[in-house]
Amino acid sequence: MNYRLFTLVILFDLIGRNLKAQNRLEIGIAGGYNKNYLHSSTGYRAFTTYEAESGFEIGLPILYHINDWFAMQIEPAYIQKNYQIKRTGFFEGIYQKNINNYIQLPIIAQFSFGGKQLRGFLNMGGYAGYWTSGRVKGSAPNVFDNRPEIADNEEIDHFLQVYQRYTYNEQYNFDSRRDRRIELGLLAGVGIQYLLQEKYRFFVEGRYYYGLTDLQKKYMTNQTPRYHDNYGIRIGCLFNLKNIFQNERSK
Amino acid sequence: MKRFNHYIILSFTTLFGFASCRKEIPQINRPDDYIAGSFSEVFEAYWNGMNNNYVFWDIDTTNWDRAYRQYKPLFAQLNLTDSNDVRKGYTYFKEMTAGLIDSHYDLSFNDPWLADSMSINPAYQRKLNSPAYHDPINPGHFYYTVSANYLDQGWKRGFVNLDQQYVAVAGTINQNILYLYFNAFNLKSLYESDDENAVKIVEEHFFELLKNTTNIKGIVLDVRGNGGGALVDLNFLVGKMIDKRLDLGFTRSKQGNGRLDYSPWVPAFVTPEAGWKAVTAPIVILADAWSISMAEMTVMAIKSLPNGHFVGERTWGGNGPLTGNTYFNGGQFSSPLINLTYTSSLALKYRDGKIYEGVGFPPDLEVKYNEEALLQGRDPQLEAALAMIH
Repeated sequence: MNYRLFTLVILFDLIGRNLKAQNRLEIGIAGGYNKNYLHSSTGYRAFTTYEAESGFEIGLPILYHINDWFAMQIEPAYIQKNYQIKRTGFFEGIYQKNINNYIQLPIIAQFSFGGKQLRGFLNMGGYAGYWTSGRVKGSAPNVFDNRPEIADNEEIDHFLQVYQRYTYNEQYNFDSRRDRRIELGLLAGVGIQYLLQEKYRFFVEGRYYYGLTDLQKKYMTNQTPRYHDNYGIRIGCLFNLKNIFQNERSK
Repeated sequence: MKRFNHYIILSFTTLFGFASCRKEIPQINRPDDYIAGSFSEVFEAYWNGMNNNYVFWDIDTTNWDRAYRQYKPLFAQLNLTDSNDVRKGYTYFKEMTAGLIDSHYDLSFNDPWLADSMSINPAYQRKLNSPAYHDPINPGHFYYTVSANYLDQGWKRGFVNLDQQYVAVAGTINQNILYLYFNAFNLKSLYESDDENAVKIVEEHFFELLKNTTNIKGIVLDVRGNGGGALVDLNFLVGKMIDKRLDLGFTRSKQGNGRLDYSPWVPAFVTPEAGWKAVTAPIVILADAWSISMAEMTVMAIKSLPNGHFVGERTWGGNGPLTGNTYFNGGQFSSPLINLTYTSSLALKYRDGKIYEGVGFPPDLEVKYNEEALLQGRDPQLEAALAMIH
């Protein structure tokens, strides 16, 4: 056993011993797929729209049961909140996908109901996130690239016939004058959970993150705000530390 | 269970309470949809049009928010039906835009009371007030003096009057240095025109020299006083002197209504024309303070060549390409009272990473405008270009 693994085992053992007195602490892992909508407006921009983009999240939920039906949860997580700005009609093919990476910490109140093994639950809470990095992928017309030439008798169906497509996939460069990297928001979730052998709690949850902070600082008059609306479906498993360590020691 | 329900209701109430913290999405209207009923409407339409469509907000030092706070109440005091107030409004527009770096920028008005007023052109006003200001060199200098005093026998010159007058001169100097002057970029269109025109004949002559002169010692492209024009001419002219893609910089457009919403930088380059070979001899481009837009882009292209040189003066400084607002989600627009806010659709960054909008592109070898020499039939800038080739 190498040194790191040994330390980890000792650490978990200590935690297990110390938490014996506590009622029900569970830690676990969760992840899932999400769809993120940018709540904003393209104003009068012709043939231009924001569209939702899919992403994923992975988190480490830590749940503390106060009583049978109420628990508190925190869940440090990595989550993508992606969206797309695209042009339509004559300008079809011009788009940009914004892939936004966040580290997020939700604080959740969980209300559960139902039987001992199979229970429903309702999550409500808030979160703080930090926009760590981003990537932009897309294609744009290149005004300097107008070959091949369009013949005099040729009809033009779309703009990328006139100017050739420039495709890109590059890191997003934050602009400190505009980008607000701290995000605060609310969340709500609903799901079901199944308790297996008093140790493992598997769950499926539909969750909604509702951004409360504009993605932009207030840097101009008549600014159009931008908020994330993130809908996701996630699965996960929580491990009851007390029961796991109790059983381990009793072997 | 009663307590469970109590907490659920309390939590939902709290959540909904916080949910109302989002700011409302403002309605932003197209500038030309505003009604010219009052000066307040005229101001709002123009100010918002600029707010959303001007492509240089990230580098322009004009404080547009301060302009809003300062001029909104002033315009509100004006009466659109009073000719004196309309003229006062004109001066407010002039003050507001005085520092804009876009050197294509031009505000033209459609009000009959302003028919005798020039359009507002901040870059021109700045040039006019500069101690180094000089008028553009008269095309007659190239047409008559250069052809007579510098070019070998056999030169061609011509002009054609269309939407403007197009003038061109081509020939050789000492038999093996090629020379081409033209006052605007419409070369491809005139060359491919079914109608015979004098500029086309000049172009044919130059391209024949370019193709058939075996011992080219150098080329002088003269874009002094050239006000710009069609971007397709870059491939049409410079593309005949290269055999591989020539990168000169990058462009970017607006991507949203925010002042700092931009597309990524897209490469700007010249594509070689098929059937032509690379010129290895020195290519010297002559440009001056009146070389604008496409003339400046051509200077940048030539300067990007290993054998390219730029002689003359710092250019005008208006090098962002222009097209209709819809195509690149920014740039020129119309609004009440204002016929057209003429402004770049894209920002151009040279390959060195610098944006020369508003400052002009600097020459390798500066040779200032010399009116006295020109009056005597001499051309010191052309002579410096020739010395660079020799």
